Amino acid sequence: MNAVLVSLTLALSLATGQFAPQQAASDPLAPAREARVQVLAKKLRCAVCQGLSVADSPSSMARAQLDKVRELVSAGKTDEEIVDYFVARYGEWVLLEPRAEGFNWFVWLGPVVLVLGGLFVILRQRQPLPEGAVATEAAAAPSPSSPPAPSTDDADPYLQAVRRELER
Amino acid sequence: MKRWRIPAAFAVVAAALLFVLFKGFGRDPHEVPFMLKGSPAPAFVLKPLGGGQDVKLSDLQGRPMVLNFWASWCGPCKYEHPVLEWGAREMGSQAVFMGVVFEDTEDNALDFLRRMGASFPQLMDERSRMAVDYGVAGVPETYFIDAQGTIRGKHVGPIDPQTLAARVKELSQPAPASTAEAARQR
Repeated sequence: MNAVLVSLTLALSLATGQFAPQQAASDPLAPAREARVQVLAKKLRCAVCQGLSVADSPSSMARAQLDKVRELVSAGKTDEEIVDYFVARYGEWVLLEPRAEGFNWFVWLGPVVLVLGGLFVILRQRQPLPEGAVATEAAAAPSPSSPPAPSTDDADPYLQAVRRELER
Repeated sequence: MKRWRIPAAFAVVAAALLFVLFKGFGRDPHEVPFMLKGSPAPAFVLKPLGGGQDVKLSDLQGRPMVLNFWASWCGPCKYEHPVLEWGAREMGSQAVFMGVVFEDTEDNALDFLRRMGASFPQLMDERSRMAVDYGVAGVPETYFIDAQGTIRGKHVGPIDPQTLAARVKELSQPAPASTAEAARQR
């Protein structure tokens, strides 16, 4: 029922022209410059989308932003000047990848620090095994499917301690 | 001695995480930042809707300006239009009201105005050059530009009469001096 209603509403809104008429994008520049345009457009966020880049979004606003990138590239602006043009309007929000400076270092280095911290904790937890245990482990390891090795309970100091407790 | 170290490390990580989440949840993810407040309005040269002589920003300077970006396909623009019509009639002496058609065809825009009323001049923003220059992030958006050509701010979404009247009134008052300017004047 809901699906029918949604489809009807969509059909109705399309029929009554509630959409932005598509306009063709400006012509691509020469290959070398167009490659620069595309690289820049991948870095910039489309102003009316949720997390899509200017290069990936089919929206009319993204097309207009792409036009602007082309215009600035043809005007001989450097990549930095072009990015600054958009940052001056939309703030750092417009950059899909935050700049590696100031507080943003937290975003860049946070995951690395967390992984390193985790590794450190794991290595700390893995205490070296006592020599006797290494030997029995090596003997048991080659055939994990074979019946458990003969009990080494007598050698285990913990089990001995438990037994003593129980016998008391 | 060592026992408190791991909880302390966890506490630091949790505090950092909380801080990041607080910063993230503290703002509306749909809100696009606007950085042009307080800077000079970017120049434009646009054709008026329906033909005529090109309109330049420099022609309009000297008077406060209310600049509204809209489109006929935009639902909220329909609710907003009567408010702007009222504003242009009531406050046309205090500020120039100007509409800018965003990503729309001339026919659609003219049809919209025939039905909804056309009390103030409209410009066609071909290929949305002006919209990108002004940092538009959707329609409707209303920009308030003072007589010196400085953008005082913008209103995102359909505007209501109270806000419109208050913002137009602010335009005729001197800009709140920024701290740098105040320091220089001293």
